[in-house]
Amino acid sequence: MATHFEIELDNLKNVIQKIGVLAENQVGESVKALLSEPVGEGKEVKKNEEKIDKLDVKIDVICQTIFALQQPVASDLRFIMSAMQISNEIERIGDLAISIIKRAKNIKDKHDLIVKFNIADIARMVEVIMVKTNECFLTRDESTIGEIFILNNTVQNKSDDAIHDIINEMKSHSKTVVSGTNLVIVLKHLERVSEHCTNIAEYVHFMINAKIIKHEKFDGKKSEK
Amino acid sequence: MKDLKKDIKIEVNDLSLYYGEKKALNEISMVIPKNKVTALIGPSGCGKSTFLRCINRMNDLIPDVKITGSMLVEGVDIYDKNVDVVNIRKKIGMVFQKSNPFPKSIYENVAYGPKINGIKIKTELDEIVETSLRQAAIWDEVKDRLGDSAMGLSGGQQQRLCIARTLAVSPDIILMDEPASALDPISTSKIEELVHELKEQYTIIIVTHNMQQAARTSDYTAFFYLGQLIEIGKTNTIFTKPEQKQTEDYITGRFG
Amino acid sequence: MNTTIDETENPFFSNNKKGSEIKGKFIIGITQLAVLTIITVLFIILGIIIYEGREKFSWEFISSFPTNGMTEGGIFPALIGTFILVIVMSIAAVPFGTITAIYLTEYAKENSKFAAAVRFSVRTLAVVPSIIFGLFGLGFFIQFVGGGIDKAFSGGELHWGQPNILWASLTMALLTLPVIIVSVEEALKTIPRELREASLALGATKWQTIKNIVLPGSISGIMTGTILAVSRGAGEVAPILFTGAAYYLATLPGSLSDQFMNLGYHIYIMATQSSDVEKTMPIQFATTLVLLILTLSLNLVAVIIRSRIRRRVK
Repeated sequence: MATHFEIELDNLKNVIQKIGVLAENQVGESVKALLSEPVGEGKEVKKNEEKIDKLDVKIDVICQTIFALQQPVASDLRFIMSAMQISNEIERIGDLAISIIKRAKNIKDKHDLIVKFNIADIARMVEVIMVKTNECFLTRDESTIGEIFILNNTVQNKSDDAIHDIINEMKSHSKTVVSGTNLVIVLKHLERVSEHCTNIAEYVHFMINAKIIKHEKFDGKKSEK
Repeated sequence: MKDLKKDIKIEVNDLSLYYGEKKALNEISMVIPKNKVTALIGPSGCGKSTFLRCINRMNDLIPDVKITGSMLVEGVDIYDKNVDVVNIRKKIGMVFQKSNPFPKSIYENVAYGPKINGIKIKTELDEIVETSLRQAAIWDEVKDRLGDSAMGLSGGQQQRLCIARTLAVSPDIILMDEPASALDPISTSKIEELVHELKEQYTIIIVTHNMQQAARTSDYTAFFYLGQLIEIGKTNTIFTKPEQKQTEDYITGRFG
Repeated sequence: MNTTIDETENPFFSNNKKGSEIKGKFIIGITQLAVLTIITVLFIILGIIIYEGREKFSWEFISSFPTNGMTEGGIFPALIGTFILVIVMSIAAVPFGTITAIYLTEYAKENSKFAAAVRFSVRTLAVVPSIIFGLFGLGFFIQFVGGGIDKAFSGGELHWGQPNILWASLTMALLTLPVIIVSVEEALKTIPRELREASLALGATKWQTIKNIVLPGSISGIMTGTILAVSRGAGEVAPILFTGAAYYLATLPGSLSDQFMNLGYHIYIMATQSSDVEKTMPIQFATTLVLLILTLSLNLVAVIIRSRIRRRVK
């Protein structure tokens, strides 16, 4: 039978899962908005944004309480430390998703641009990264961490290429400057979402291995650590 | 603490205790909420154990003790002249720092209280013994050897037996005076978990010199120092943003 | 083996090791010598008694009456008399002493003058010479109480106002009372305060606590103390000299108002006033042996009871 402390830890885990799922949904909505697919109610997205913010605060309070009252050590300590950070990252992801949705509405002829610069690939890949990140936290599976980093690298490279191409397009066709700039900003947002996901993966790594790998350069070997 | 009106179990008003000329408790006023765990913390000699023993009038046993002020348990002042102290102790049980089982069998230990109260029928006693031992989370360990001497149990088991013995008289309030201080960490955590379960049915007041234990187990915490109540509040608040500097200094280990 | 440790410098090595060793051995030697002396003396005494009394010591001796002016026969009436004395004495002293000890240990307040007076009296009684008890028995029990009863109920006819087994037993009871009180007190004190507190905290009254926790826990101490006190009483002679013991009675005592014979008294009389001291020597020694066996058995019973109770409690 679980002690009441274990029950509290489980509860915290559930709340993080919840906020993760909400963020995943927001990212999904933002990709849909970008690729001109039918999107959900604007109200729904706004409600979820508020929920994410509330849960972020709730997680902070829970963690503070656990620190003060339970004096967690070892893996429990790493879990609580990571929980606060992960919640922070997820909240940022939520914010970025909202920004992407707002921007996407302002891009004219985006369908052509998207096809021309293979933006759909990048967007879908970011969705996948988000899903894998939630999975990674849930299962604490180390191999997923590696996958996330590899996918992130791909996204960063492809996004760089796409931005390069968009800039060239803008240089030659001044009519596309407004849409092009917005698209670049959206791509940058997508890159940031992906980076936040890698941060979350780093915290999961810390939870499992007690090793802090923040700010280390990834050279394809991190997945072996 | 003031919006608890319906849920107050004990109300203490200006309680002072004198050992002869020496004032050991200085006008303590506080309320103890029902069905919660209230922890009393403070450095050695601050009066927390003395205060605890006032609640079930165990200080009456010490010669030359004088008590002023009042202690109302569900509205009745237990220090009133007309109150029968024996009845008080049936409603307010106590678990001591060093476990003190009687040199009798496990069964007889738990059945002692009910027998004193006049319960003679064996089936009734059997039921009470089993219920109490289950509540104290020790039934599985002793159910096949109820006739064995209680002195053969380990320290942690003896303490849980003492808890079962206290539960057997169906008290409302359980006082615990540093119940785990003589136990190893695993026994200690068993006792802490037990306290957590018991609070649904009982009001529990626990004295502990281990602050972390107070943080882990209690809902409310009262900080005593030199015979005075410095601060009382929700444990969460006391350990994250206490009001009094003295409290903060004690909790952070700056003194005491 | 060559040691490179300089023994005079290293603090682990003591300078006067030899000195303190010798002192230690000396002290052990002296205590061993003392114990040896005591045991030797004990065996010599026992040896003499057994040797001198062996021809007379038999079943017949124990079960028959003395004959021929006490120079032959047995000591049966003295044995019975001693038994009755011990029993009546115990009935009088043990309950009274136990209750007093319970009062002193459990109920008396710390600064109670009354309790202090009781304790003082008990300690003083314990050192009063036993002959004084005899005088008290004569003056108080026989003349005052017994005489008073006679005046009140039989119009002055002498019935209770003379030495008999009742007064002798009560006198002996007074003698053993302090010992009983002290040993019961000590036994009660061995029950730790925590057990009393535990019982009271469960809502038991003081008497319930005493009855269920303190007394059962100290019963072995109580029994041991009382049996030792009683066995002392079996051998005392001075208090019964003029309160009821007789040198020769043709019959066994039939009621409490009769006189009685007694082993200790018997030995005394035979050794000092017998018609033929030489001839009665074996009887004296055999009687002594019987008294010794009686006392030692009582002690043995006390030890057995105590160890049985201890085993049961564990």
